[in-house]
Amino acid sequence: MAYLSMGEAHRRITEYLNRFSDAVLTQDGSSLKQLLSISSNSPLLLSLADALNLFHDSNRLLKQSDRFSQISEIVSPLFRSIQNFRLGNLLDSYNAFEKAANAFIQEFRNWESAWALEALYVIAYEIRVLAERADRELASVGKTPEKLKGAGSFLMKVFGVLAGKGPKRVGALYVTCQLFKIYFKLGTVHLCRSVIRSIETARIFDFEEFPIRDKVTYMYYTGRLEVFNENFPAADQKLSYALMHCNPHREANIRMILKYLIPVKLSIGILPKNWLLEKYNLIEYSNVVQALKRGDLRLLRHALQEHEDRFLRAGVYLVLEKLELQVYQRLVKKIYIIQKQKDPSKAHQLKLEVIVKALKWLEMDMDVDEVECIMSILIYKNLMKGYFAHKSKVVVLSKQDPFPKLNGKPVNS
Amino acid sequence: MVCYLLFEFWYKCIKDKKEPKVANEDPKVDLFEDDDEFEEFEINEEWDDKEEGKDTTQQWEDDWDDDDVNDDFSLQLRKELENNAEKS
Repeated sequence: MAYLSMGEAHRRITEYLNRFSDAVLTQDGSSLKQLLSISSNSPLLLSLADALNLFHDSNRLLKQSDRFSQISEIVSPLFRSIQNFRLGNLLDSYNAFEKAANAFIQEFRNWESAWALEALYVIAYEIRVLAERADRELASVGKTPEKLKGAGSFLMKVFGVLAGKGPKRVGALYVTCQLFKIYFKLGTVHLCRSVIRSIETARIFDFEEFPIRDKVTYMYYTGRLEVFNENFPAADQKLSYALMHCNPHREANIRMILKYLIPVKLSIGILPKNWLLEKYNLIEYSNVVQALKRGDLRLLRHALQEHEDRFLRAGVYLVLEKLELQVYQRLVKKIYIIQKQKDPSKAHQLKLEVIVKALKWLEMDMDVDEVECIMSILIYKNLMKGYFAHKSKVVVLSKQDPFPKLNGKPVNS
Repeated sequence: MVCYLLFEFWYKCIKDKKEPKVANEDPKVDLFEDDDEFEEFEINEEWDDKEEGKDTTQQWEDDWDDDDVNDDFSLQLRKELENNAEKS
């Protein structure tokens, strides 16, 4: 650190205080927001942090002018947070920031217009990332990480402040998205439900009014929730919205949307084009897609095994495993077409024995009874139309549309 | 319906037979991890949100389930079925 004189430190702190106070007086939200983004390591905040760590009595400066009395409840803990952040004391930094954030909310509640929304966004973001870092520090010394949970409670309070009538309500979705990030990280996604209910049932929110960045993030997370709930049409609708409206330059986000949308689309019988998998580096799905196209049960099994970890972590393994029935359908259909080319008159009679042989070729050792069972399930799920001639061990396929397509609907359950 | 439940059960048994469950250790999922946390958009980030030009048919195929059986896999399948037909 370059040498810093006491006078210079004094000057920097006073300048920060003046800027803060002016931003509040003139209701200048975008200037205020720059004074709050602690984790951004902006030159402004870094040089302030050094000044604060040299000049220990910054509270004296706060008390010295009446102009600062309105902001001192916020700024005094904020200074401590900035100092500690610079020194790498992340737990102390978080604790002080939470105090500053609470004081900020007190003031924010009283401001009638929504001028400070951008500053509030920064507070909501900072409290989450500072809590994550504080938790890492806690975990590293063997203590229970609990700050992220605390940040969640704080943001619920903020949500309450915004979710009324009036111009501040357009900020509610940003806070919701920060809450989603916390709940997904903590594995407490059931807590999303009450926030979602407020957003989706409250008459005061017109969803289209919210900023696009929040709508996309919201649809990504609620889409993932629908995947967990195995509600595929809803998951398709939400994730497709996110994909359609996402900033096209945010490739990492597009990739994440696709990571969940692809299994959803597969489950309703729609395949991604190859270039999509290549462009967004999602080649773990390409063998699954290939298996569906071919009716290749062996390839499906291998693809699931090969990327088991990845699929389990994303929570899409079970979705992909269920594609097996569609792959069976495709295989039986191929056998049927091959038969038809040889002898059209007998094509709709499918000997179970033949299917057993095809499966054996695919390294699946099943007897006739087991294959009969699988065929029954295909018929029950409306992936195949026909009936059994049980004695002669033959499936008699319907002459009309024996293999109905899913057409964007999930397999019957 | 009862029939169906039986089948489901049966199906499950078949699958279990095929894939003996390895006594897995508990999967090690980090307590605080979400691999797919959505990247933060900038507060003032804006973009052209027109839907035109984002034709979804360029990305997805829903009419892939054709009757074409001339791919390698199908040709092998055909050979396999014919071989076996001769033997039986």
